[in-house]
Amino acid sequence: MQFLIATILYQEEGESSSNVSLVLPETAELIAGIIAFAIVFFFVWKWALPTLNKTLETRQLAVSGELAGAEKAKVEAESLLSDYRSQLAEAKSEGNRILEDARVSAEQLKADLLSRAETDAENIRSKARDDASAEKSRALAEARTQVGDISVDLAGKIVGEALDSDAHQALIDRYLADLEKL
Amino acid sequence: MTDRITGYANGIFELARAEGELERVENELFIIAQALDDSPELRSTLTDPQLPMERKQALVEDLIGGRASSLSLDLVQLIVSQGRASELSDIARAVVEAAAASRDKAVAEVRSAVPLDADTIERLASALGRATGKSVEVKVVVDESVIGGIVARVGDTVIDGSLARRVDSLRQAVES
Repeated sequence: MQFLIATILYQEEGESSSNVSLVLPETAELIAGIIAFAIVFFFVWKWALPTLNKTLETRQLAVSGELAGAEKAKVEAESLLSDYRSQLAEAKSEGNRILEDARVSAEQLKADLLSRAETDAENIRSKARDDASAEKSRALAEARTQVGDISVDLAGKIVGEALDSDAHQALIDRYLADLEKL
Repeated sequence: MTDRITGYANGIFELARAEGELERVENELFIIAQALDDSPELRSTLTDPQLPMERKQALVEDLIGGRASSLSLDLVQLIVSQGRASELSDIARAVVEAAAASRDKAVAEVRSAVPLDADTIERLASALGRATGKSVEVKVVVDESVIGGIVARVGDTVIDGSLARRVDSLRQAVES
C-alpha cells in the first residue's frame, strides 16, 4: 500500500512536470501489464481454480455426505423411535393381555372354588342326612328288636312261672305221645 | 370230635372200667359237664391262662370234692392240670358215649325243666330208641331254660318239643 501511494505520488509529480497523461499508462507498460495479468490469470485458471474447485467440491461432497449421514441417522432414529413406540405399545398390549388373562383366571379359579365348596357342602349335608336317616332306622330296628326280645322273654317267664307240675307233665306226655307216633 | 378228646375219653373210660367205677364215673362226669355248660363263669375261670394252676385245682376240689368219687375228682384234676379245661365238657360226653357204646347203646341227652320220674325216662328211652333206630340210654339234664316240655339229643339228632323252641319261634316272628 505504501508502495502504491508512493507510485501515485511519483506519477503526479511526473505529470505535473512532463505534461504526460495521468490516466492511461504507457503502451509498453500496458502490454506488460496485460501479459502479466494473462500469465497470472493463466496460472490461476490452470491450477488455482481447479484446486479451489476440487477443494470446494470435496467440501461440498463432505457436507453432502454429512447431511446424508445426518438424514440417515435421523431416519434411523425415527425408525428406532417408531420401533420403540411400537414395542412399547406391544408391551402395553401384552401387559394388558396378561392382566386380563390373570383376571379371567382368578375369576375362573374363584368360580371353581365356590362351585367345589358348594358341592362339598352339599355332599356333607347329603351324607349327614343319610347318616341321620340310617341311624334313625337302625335305632328303630334296635328298639323294635329289644321290645320284641323283652316281650318274648317276659312271655316265656310268665309261661314258665304259670306252669305247675300237672302242666309240665302234660307237656311231657304230649311230647312222648308225639315221639311214639314217629 | 378231635383225636385228643377221643384219646382222653378212651383213657378215662378204660381206667374207670378197670377200677370198676365206670357207671359212677360216667354219671359224675356227665353232671360236671352239665355244670360247666350251664356256667360260663366257671368255664372261663378254669380256662383263664392268667390264673395259676393251683387256684384252678383248688376250685375244682371245692366244687367236686366230697360230692363225687375220688377217681372222678382225680380225672377232672388231670384234665384241668393239662390245660384242657375248655375240652372237659366234650371229654365227659365222649366218656359217656364210650361207656354207652360198650353196652351197645347210644346216649340220649334229655333236657327238661323239671325232674323226670323213672316211668317217664323208660318211656322216653323206648320212644327215642324207636325214633332213632338205636338202643338208647337216657341221661336227664334239668334245665330251666327249656321252660316246659322236653329236648332230646341222640348223637346229631335233636328232637325238640320244648316251650323254649316255641318262644324262639315267636321271637323270630317278632324280629322279622
